[in-house]
Amino acid sequence: MNEALLQLFAPQLFEAMVRLATPVAFAALAAVICERSGVTNIAMEGVMLVGAFFAAWVGWLAGNPWIGVLGGVAGSMLFSLLFAWAVVSLHFNHVVAGAIMNILAFGITRYLMMICFGRQGTSESLPKTLQEYKFAIPILSKIPYVGPALFNQTPLVYLSIISVIVLSLILSRTRFGLSINAAGEHPMALETLGRSVYKIRYSAVLLSGLFCGLAGAFLSIENSNSFTEGMTDGRGFIALAANIAGAWRPGGVFIASLFFGFVDALQLRAQSLGLLSLPSEVFLAFPYVATIIAVAGLVRRSRPPAALGEDFKIEGESET
Amino acid sequence: MIILHTLALLLAVAGSVLYLASYFEGGLLLIGALMLEGFAQWKKLGKTAFIQQLKGIAQKSIVPVVGIAVALVIGAIIMALTGYDPVKAYEALFYGGLVKNWHVSVLNAVPLIFTGLAITFAFQGGLFNIGAEGQYYIGVIVSTWLGLTLSPSLPSWFGIVLIYLAAMLAGALLNVVPALLKVKTGAHEVVTTMMLAYTVRTLSPLFIRAFGGDPVSSSHPLATDAIKDRFWLPLFQAILPEANYRLHIGIILAILTAFATRYLVRSTNLGYKIRALGYNPKAAKTYGISVGWMTTITLLISGALAAMAGATQVLGLDHRMFQDLNAGYGWNGISIALLARNNPVAIIFTALLWGALDAGGQYMARVTHTPNAIIEIIKGVILFLLLSESLYEQLKKHGFWRRLGRRKQKEVAA
Repeated sequence: MNEALLQLFAPQLFEAMVRLATPVAFAALAAVICERSGVTNIAMEGVMLVGAFFAAWVGWLAGNPWIGVLGGVAGSMLFSLLFAWAVVSLHFNHVVAGAIMNILAFGITRYLMMICFGRQGTSESLPKTLQEYKFAIPILSKIPYVGPALFNQTPLVYLSIISVIVLSLILSRTRFGLSINAAGEHPMALETLGRSVYKIRYSAVLLSGLFCGLAGAFLSIENSNSFTEGMTDGRGFIALAANIAGAWRPGGVFIASLFFGFVDALQLRAQSLGLLSLPSEVFLAFPYVATIIAVAGLVRRSRPPAALGEDFKIEGESET
Repeated sequence: MIILHTLALLLAVAGSVLYLASYFEGGLLLIGALMLEGFAQWKKLGKTAFIQQLKGIAQKSIVPVVGIAVALVIGAIIMALTGYDPVKAYEALFYGGLVKNWHVSVLNAVPLIFTGLAITFAFQGGLFNIGAEGQYYIGVIVSTWLGLTLSPSLPSWFGIVLIYLAAMLAGALLNVVPALLKVKTGAHEVVTTMMLAYTVRTLSPLFIRAFGGDPVSSSHPLATDAIKDRFWLPLFQAILPEANYRLHIGIILAILTAFATRYLVRSTNLGYKIRALGYNPKAAKTYGISVGWMTTITLLISGALAAMAGATQVLGLDHRMFQDLNAGYGWNGISIALLARNNPVAIIFTALLWGALDAGGQYMARVTHTPNAIIEIIKGVILFLLLSESLYEQLKKHGFWRRLGRRKQKEVAA
């Protein structure tokens, strides 16, 4: 038994943990920035899917995964613009708009699959993926356990770690970040100070689109080499849970994502080592159950932004 | 007067049943019923008030009609830009969805009505049951299990009732988890119901393999054995020989459930409390309504309604459980519930619209080779266009209520 445990908790487990946490972390960062500005976002699943598609398609057309990343980010930001328009300008209920965005995303990606690849299911594979740009950071990668897990990874994994640091600096140190917080806590006060809540919320939703695009690109052209319909597999909702469990903070959210990555890595490894003679479905359901438990256990300690999900309307705007 | 109303009602019921069974002559009965009802209203209200009422109805229907038309135009533009012929595609869409394969549209609408009702019911209490698909799956699993194992000596009708009750109980029980978590810890039901739906869907192949699923056969997706045919729902064909051989009475059950839900929500004490909870939880609490208990009840009933969709699908149409049906009953249920603006009876119509779009889309894809994913896009655009208007209305109402509340506070302060 001890030997089996050692095998289970080999350094590869932690490497897989960080890798599998990456899409959730990106999407959870998207949730943080969006929700800190007061916009409830359940559209991440759909935005990610659109990002994953465009990353695969553009990357395949260009034959270059880096251009694919740009394509994925551009696609998902454009798609988020629609979401921003709906919730900020058209005053949609945020949850309703998010649900519509998810429905649209499934339809758009399925249609584009037929237009761009002429078939359903899975797209053409990219000749080259970001997996091939895996690189170890000298010295740091030699630290036992932590080294291979954090410092011998693929490009977008590094980018996710950098994003966590940059985003928490932006939110706590810059004028823009403080405005985002104000838009989520007390939008009227921000407006009184002469800053536009609309503009802040628009930029926050667009930024969240950027992160969802990176999450999608990771799924289609770093962790795999093609786009598959519905490949996000509920990660947008797991990211929502990570956002709540991480108390709307980039650092907390990253740790929560690592937890989900760990659960996912554990089930994959336990399954492949054949440690427990359980059907594979039980392992596959593991992350979903873990999400429920994590949200239930941690939700009390976190407080959402005060004006989260509330519509903001400037007085005197025509009520048609 | 009462005779006129009763006659109109009878005509409407007969006409609907005939029309749903693809006896399009039933449409004439429906028109007759409308005219009778119109005549009765005219007698009652007098000419001016009657015309006023007609105008009101016309005004209300402008937005949906224009919205759907604009969505179709946007769909046509997309098709034209991507090299498909929109005229041919739409011809096939309408012919397939409304005439040729109308029975498929009706069959598609049946589970959607139930999941739509489940989501609407939760909305009444201010809860978003985004994971109705999970409760649907539980309904499918329980009814398949009972359909396979219940003693064949049971009377047919008794078995069917028993299966429905068991499926509803299971759907409600599944929602105990999100309900308790919501009440005890405040965990949001969007996350918990969605994750439960993924859990159930991921685990469902275990059940299928236990009841006859053959993983080796590649001709068909993994499926259980067929349930005993004595527990199948009766078919329309038993009375109307021209009806499609697959059309079962589930649609009538669904319509009755819609009316029952409306009654429960609008005319009972429980419904009143649930709506109070959805409208303003704090106010509901001060009126002595237990928020925790009402939240739980709402989610349980919602789960039971979604499970009915699964039971009906198994007993009426599939007679077995397929792996990863992935038919999106959850998401489509959300769409039609939103479109119906929380009106349980309107769900019947929005579900038929969605069902017809799906059936017509399949026919269109087969005949004109236009990808039927365009239908999903059109659906999204319809939602977008119709709901932005509905939200303007709701916001107006909210603003109004808030102002009213403020005035009351001022009065108290004075």
